[in-house]
Amino acid sequence: MMEVTQETREDWRVVTLRGRADSETADRLEEELRSAVQQHPKVAVDLRAVDYISSAGLRAVLQAARAAQGHSDLAFCSLSAAVKKVFDMSGMQHILKIREELPC
Amino acid sequence: MPSRTVQHTGRRCGRGHGTLPGGRAVWHNRSIPTGVEIALNGTVGELERLAAEVAEFCRGNGLDEGVEFDLNLVLEELFINTIRHGGCGDQADAARIRMRAAGDTVEVEYRDRGIPFNPLDAPEPNISAPFEERQPGGLGIHLVRQIMSDVRYRRSEGENQLTMARRTESK
Repeated sequence: MMEVTQETREDWRVVTLRGRADSETADRLEEELRSAVQQHPKVAVDLRAVDYISSAGLRAVLQAARAAQGHSDLAFCSLSAAVKKVFDMSGMQHILKIREELPC
Repeated sequence: MPSRTVQHTGRRCGRGHGTLPGGRAVWHNRSIPTGVEIALNGTVGELERLAAEVAEFCRGNGLDEGVEFDLNLVLEELFINTIRHGGCGDQADAARIRMRAAGDTVEVEYRDRGIPFNPLDAPEPNISAPFEERQPGGLGIHLVRQIMSDVRYRRSEGENQLTMARRTESK
């Protein structure tokens, strides 16, 4: 189960995720993130309420970052402990823009 | 611990066309005498049931959220490989899992009837590579190897058989 909400705050599009980023939810996650980066120049993903992520979720995130390259600023914010652990094990912190807090 | 019953059909993935009975059952014990036993059909939807079983196992054995998270992650990665790459998609009884808490360790046994695949032979992804060179594949098995210790593989009786352990002290 994953809940995704999107809203515009100041000049950022904020995508808030809640729940599990796993093989069941990865396709939808990728779709949501892609559509956000295609339509908005600045996208912040709030990961505070993501309590589980597997490699399928990582793939969705990577694909979205790829889609954002060159035309959208995509930041991953407020990582939960679970997400941080999996990001660290996979070296995501070297290639994604990660922020401790949401920009707005 | 509750035990569950599953019929051992002897069928190999990629052959046959069994419907999914949604059944689960007890499996003849071999290396692990007690603990939970789970049989999964080859559909992604089984992940939810797997997560519930892992949660129950952890609660019953006083294991913390960190252990539960790691077990879920490792089992998802292995199971998704089984159904996406092992030829076990939509097969009944595609994978079987046993877990047992023993001292400061959870012993895990994972078996499937898919094509032969030794995760210990899988190439390690380069997790320091720059973005442009990142490959989407290989991360799942990488996570399994990062989290679990004493990972052993053998191919026997037409099955991939993996045993491994997760230390339960904080890590």
